[in-house]
Amino acid sequence: MTYSPACGSAAHLSRRSFLQGVTTGALGAIGFAGLTHARAAEQLTRAQKQVVVFWLSGGVSQLETWDPKPGTDNGGPFQTIETSVPGTHICELLPYTAKQMHHLALVRGINTKEGDHGKGAYIMQHGYKKTPGFEYPHLGSAFSSLLTPAGSPLPGYIHVAGGANAKDASFLGPRHAPVALANGKAPDHLDRAAGMTAEADAKRRAMRAKVSQQFSTGRKATETEAYSASYDQAASLMARKDIFDFSTISEADFARYGKHDFARHCLMARKLVENGVTFTKVNHREYDTHSENFNFHIEQLGEFDQPFAAFVEDLADRGLLANTLVIVMCEFGRTPRINQRVGRDHWGTAWSIAVGGAGIKGGAVVGKTNENGTKVIDREVDGGHLFHTYYKAVGIDSTQPFWDNDRPYHKADPQASAIDEILA
Amino acid sequence: MNRRIIPLALLILGTAAWLSGWNVRQAPAQETQPPVAAPEFGDAAIAETPTPLHVEIDRLIRERTPNYDSMAAPLATDGEFLRRVSLDLTGLLPSVAETRAFLADTDPAKREKVVNRLLAHPSYPRHMQRTFDVVLMRRLAAKHVAAPAWETFLRTSFAEDKGYDQIVREILAADGTDPKARGPARFLLDREGDSHEITRDVARIFLGANLDCAQCHDHPSVDGFKQAHYYGIQAFVVRSFLFTDEKKVAMMAEKADGEVTFESVFEIRDKKSSGPKSLPPQIFEKVSFTEPKFDKGKEYVVAPDPKKKEVRPIPKFSRRAHLAEAVASRDNRRFARTAVNRVWSILFARGLVHPVDMDHAANPPSHPELLDLLTDEFMRNRFDVRWLLREIVLSSTYQRSSQRPVGADGKAEFPPETAFAQAPVRALSPAQFAWSYCQATGEADVQRNALGNKLSEETLFQRLAGYESQFTNRFGGQPGKPVEGLEATIDQALWLSNDAGVLSLLNVRPGSLSDRLVKLPADNPAAIAEELYLTTLVRPPTPQEVAEVAEYLKDTTPETRPNAIKDLVWAVTMSSEFRVLH
Repeated sequence: MTYSPACGSAAHLSRRSFLQGVTTGALGAIGFAGLTHARAAEQLTRAQKQVVVFWLSGGVSQLETWDPKPGTDNGGPFQTIETSVPGTHICELLPYTAKQMHHLALVRGINTKEGDHGKGAYIMQHGYKKTPGFEYPHLGSAFSSLLTPAGSPLPGYIHVAGGANAKDASFLGPRHAPVALANGKAPDHLDRAAGMTAEADAKRRAMRAKVSQQFSTGRKATETEAYSASYDQAASLMARKDIFDFSTISEADFARYGKHDFARHCLMARKLVENGVTFTKVNHREYDTHSENFNFHIEQLGEFDQPFAAFVEDLADRGLLANTLVIVMCEFGRTPRINQRVGRDHWGTAWSIAVGGAGIKGGAVVGKTNENGTKVIDREVDGGHLFHTYYKAVGIDSTQPFWDNDRPYHKADPQASAIDEILA
Repeated sequence: MNRRIIPLALLILGTAAWLSGWNVRQAPAQETQPPVAAPEFGDAAIAETPTPLHVEIDRLIRERTPNYDSMAAPLATDGEFLRRVSLDLTGLLPSVAETRAFLADTDPAKREKVVNRLLAHPSYPRHMQRTFDVVLMRRLAAKHVAAPAWETFLRTSFAEDKGYDQIVREILAADGTDPKARGPARFLLDREGDSHEITRDVARIFLGANLDCAQCHDHPSVDGFKQAHYYGIQAFVVRSFLFTDEKKVAMMAEKADGEVTFESVFEIRDKKSSGPKSLPPQIFEKVSFTEPKFDKGKEYVVAPDPKKKEVRPIPKFSRRAHLAEAVASRDNRRFARTAVNRVWSILFARGLVHPVDMDHAANPPSHPELLDLLTDEFMRNRFDVRWLLREIVLSSTYQRSSQRPVGADGKAEFPPETAFAQAPVRALSPAQFAWSYCQATGEADVQRNALGNKLSEETLFQRLAGYESQFTNRFGGQPGKPVEGLEATIDQALWLSNDAGVLSLLNVRPGSLSDRLVKLPADNPAAIAEELYLTTLVRPPTPQEVAEVAEYLKDTTPETRPNAIKDLVWAVTMSSEFRVLH
């Protein structure tokens, strides 16, 4: 992984990988500290691919979003609307998003054959069915390990408004486990202890480094250097804790995004992308609409639509979208058949997601379901195809395996391949 | 016949030394040493073999590598040795009083004396419990068996010097039906009684064979790991399953029928498969029993009843009951060989066969004769882990320094790891890290003093268990995937840097290291540096380090000194040297 530092200093080009344990954190801190304004961030992200996942927990309905079927037995009450892509219509519950469709591609032929929340979520975020006794790395940990510049002081995988499941990293190691911004707050322990001045902190850290340096004389020190590097990274992150300061969001931003939690979380995601965080996952909940499907979707998508569209628009305006893959997904879709409680149930057989940004052909639509949405009739794909597509979109060869203790693991199901129709 | 019995006198001495040695205020340095360290440990062995095993270890290590002597690191200094062996045998950092006494001791046999004392230390069984808990349970969540029951089983077993074969037989035989013996059943029950998970872990942990690949096909790159090996093991447990009784207590149950079937996915793909195959139970092609046949309808002591799910079936013949004997017996050399190789790998960060679970013909041991000898002697000494540890830590191979002399360019040449010519640098386990931090900062002494006459290994453990679990949660890895080596993350470093609880142990208060340092004369930085380095890093400071301490405290005033001292203790306890065993 290489990138061109914004300040152009040759010193940054000599970074070696974190795993080799070289203490470059201090240099890294200078490099990142220089990247405070938007132009610098843009330069950084031009070389560094990033990924943002909007996770609509519970399973949003494809019929009320990306693949509406108005006027059929399964269609429900909503109409379609035109989008910024001539000929492509989506559900009328997404008027803001409709104006950004030229940045997004739709995959309408997903069949994951899975109607269980946990198992479906696993397939969509790991690319595989869950296998007993083995954990595939989560998409966030995978991208963290593959895309984060060596020595970066920033966590590679941040989960906004969700928990941190250490298992996500699997064999990629704790360096790539998620850091949670629960309730949209900064990670723990970013602040110096009460009474500790910046000078005293720097002084004790310098002493720590000195003692450690002496120990490494005449010893193989790969691991201990990684340990020292983690302190340097911690200090760098403390110095950059402004990236978690969401108190500076302007009234103008709130006016465009809204003031509810999800709007705030989208603004946080924008800030994290601007600052070079590799992978950000933003949660939006309450889509498991077994009853009152249509009322719930009016409410939930009413919250989702405006800030999500503003997020896409802002990334595009700032030149960040070209290098940021944006994915809107969930564990499964919802049954075409409307049940007795005016709800829709779990459905992995024929559903849709939206992707956009880095490597994606904006406006593309691939896959087709039949007239009333009960099965895929063209270009059926599953989690394996989607994972190959994500990897290819950010320039990673998904046919090259991960290695764990000399054992190879496919990045994505070798039986599947990328959906080239939506790749730029 | 070689059963080693720790003389009662030595046990008492060890305990007494421990109890006094840990109380800084009451223990003059000389009392921390047992007055006599009788060499009872080795007596029987010396009578039977011409040379003790630890001497043989050194010979076989040296003979295997040309120029071994020229590349070997010198023996570790007393401080380096004391720290290493204390952490390896008890999981604890020595107290500064113990360190001072050991450094001052002029007895040429003092290393052997301290090894004997540490092996008789009441923390030895707990350290073994923690070590083998990670080996056996991989930090899987305790679900059906409470962790304390399992831990007590392990700790008691190591305290009693139960043979490792016996421990494993009890683990593999336990079905959880005896409410008083739930502990050992954790191995099967917290794997949900899943026959595949049990097969994988029995192979990996006890047979030195990672057969994960062989579930679906012969190992693609290892000739010795066949799909038939995997299913030979699975055949022992394929009829077993997790049964939950009316009170929701989980236990193992078994049917009287059911066979393994397997077919290579490669052969299916290439259309070369001759159809599914089956096998009777066997360990690496060795069948150890014949299965009796019963007439139809007479296979069960308690027959399953499709209408009554609360009935736990009991077959007349249990395949699973034969697993323990087939795996953990003298007839299965792989078991003893894997066990000694694992103990070796814990102490040297590398097995003689490496990785430990890849023991096959194409991956031979670095020292085949040594591995054979260790295997033979371990079996002859009734799989006694304490005996094995003692022999290894008494070897010069174990006692080498982790440091090589550096040349004029400040660089050193390192011998290959397979030569075992230099001690490795190993990460402290989370528990070792927690206890080291508590010992070094003085928190352990604060708690010892608070316990007064209620002080025992158990009561002190209770007092500090909260720290241990915090460190384990942060540094232990995840369930099923314990951290191997030193994996350092930002959130760990942030916690160690800024957490109020972590930093509070540095406070100046009675019994803490900062308190002792603050009370030393400000104009004597050499004394401050010595107390600091002996307490934390178990060695005296170098002149350069004395100068650094002096520089650090140079411009402090009586008001600013306490904070500067706290920061100094933090800097040394968070150093790389403190974080590792070396």
